[in-house]
Amino acid sequence: MPTDTKRVRGPEVSQSPLLFVSKPATALPSHGPRTDGRPRDQVDVRPVFVRCGLVSQAKGSAYIEAGNTKLMSCVYGPRETERKDETDMKCGRLTTDMRFAPFSCPERGSWIQGSQDKDLSLMLHESLQPAVCLHKYPRSQIEVNVMVLENSGSVLAHAVTCASLALADAGIEMYDLVLGCAVRQDGSSYVVDPTYKEENSCSSASSENQGGLTVAFLPSLNQISGLQSDGEMTEETLTAGVRTCIEGCYKIYPVIQQALAKAVRRAAPPPSES
Amino acid sequence: MATVQVSEAEKVYILHGIRDDLRVDGRGCEDYRHTEIETDVVSNTDGSAKVTLGHTAVLVGIKADLGKPKPMLPKEGYLEFFVDCSANATPEFEGRGGEELGTELSNTLYKVFNNKHSVDLKSLCISPGEHCWVLYVDVLLLQCDGNLYDAISIAIKAALFSTKIPKVHISADEEGAKEIELSDDPYDCMRLNVENVPCIVTLCKVGHRHVVDATLQEKACSVASLIISVTQKGTVTCMRKVGGGSLDPESIFEMTEAGKRVGKALHAPLMDLLQQEERLGTKRQKVGFLG
Repeated sequence: MPTDTKRVRGPEVSQSPLLFVSKPATALPSHGPRTDGRPRDQVDVRPVFVRCGLVSQAKGSAYIEAGNTKLMSCVYGPRETERKDETDMKCGRLTTDMRFAPFSCPERGSWIQGSQDKDLSLMLHESLQPAVCLHKYPRSQIEVNVMVLENSGSVLAHAVTCASLALADAGIEMYDLVLGCAVRQDGSSYVVDPTYKEENSCSSASSENQGGLTVAFLPSLNQISGLQSDGEMTEETLTAGVRTCIEGCYKIYPVIQQALAKAVRRAAPPPSES
Repeated sequence: MATVQVSEAEKVYILHGIRDDLRVDGRGCEDYRHTEIETDVVSNTDGSAKVTLGHTAVLVGIKADLGKPKPMLPKEGYLEFFVDCSANATPEFEGRGGEELGTELSNTLYKVFNNKHSVDLKSLCISPGEHCWVLYVDVLLLQCDGNLYDAISIAIKAALFSTKIPKVHISADEEGAKEIELSDDPYDCMRLNVENVPCIVTLCKVGHRHVVDATLQEKACSVASLIISVTQKGTVTCMRKVGGGSLDPESIFEMTEAGKRVGKALHAPLMDLLQQEERLGTKRQKVGFLG
């Protein structure tokens, strides 16, 4: 077979050159203030920016920005279900789809949904389902799509908040809003709403008691609809972490309420006084 | 997921029973069903185990393969999990029906083992950055009668215990080219330390109480359950809420506490059994699948 001498054959698999950069300063300090100036061991979530109704084609949509984490969510439906073979037609169906844009993480991802995305979609589904009055929508399905535009940590937590806001914006009947918050335990100290770097740094000297926790919370019903943890933690740490997350959820609650009220006011302006 | 139809009257019966700490099959709220474990059931694997928990049956086979370490962790080998929901278990799994449950289970397993102490990954490294052992953990569901997570985690621990990885030596010639040599002696093999491999405990919230090792009927009465993977020392490596309902924070704390207690108590008898079986050696009577 004649070989094409003009073409440089690259290796079949390639890695990002950034992986091979020698990094002496990867170990983030496990004490003192965090890189973005927030204090440790305190329920200090990043300030969030939220806005409803950005996508005109969708029934409801929302955009959330916390630090550099940027997400958008669209809700379509309720419409007639595609799958007719479902035995339980008295309740509606909620479908969730969460995806990362290929450029959202430091390493390029693919457009095809990987197993991590599928897992996050499932977590999102489990977190949202208890809040939606699905019995009000028989024989129909509601689709929730979340797209991560920039991943700078705590993606699942913000995805939950964003998706529930989009559901509310779409006028889907719900028992409550769902708020998400994440905590990263690092030895004896913890950081709330961790950034991507903080999430992936595991070089602390004490490898005991290290892990991440994400909680989805229904604030006015005081119920936890989603919970996920990994790493290694003691039971006491986990319990404390769950409490911290709940506190963190209450911090962003007023912002979300305000954004929703603003969206409603814009959609149906109050009748003028004159 | 394999489900059963439970009528309202049956549900009330189960709910009231659990309220009074009496379950349909006579167990208490924190008791497991009759469990059977057998290791080395498939000869073509490097380690295998079959676990039956009530009518739930799970077969785990582990194959060790040579692979390249991940660029981020050049000094470690890694584990790969795959869960196959065979259509033998329930007809719902036919075709692609079991795929969703399979990915859910395998993703949870990745989370459960996502820490430094569960398996000593450094011992799986052969030459840093070039070669390492990859353990392919394949889980096959043979029968489903609730509580898949617990059965799978016990089976994985047993299979990892019985895993024998052949020893290899690296020799370099004058030009610096490395060569991997496999030991001639089939008994010259490496064993894994499974002391810190966690077991999963699933707690089903039924009414105001929670039960361990729920059957399909009990699961149909519950809205949400919590899975907790606990190591021998009582460290929690993964916690996750599954199911369509939500839980009260207080009951989550109660369930974590109960899960830790039950999980911690599970390890000692399991290790005892595995070591006992090991000691029997070749005299061991093989039970197989029809026992």
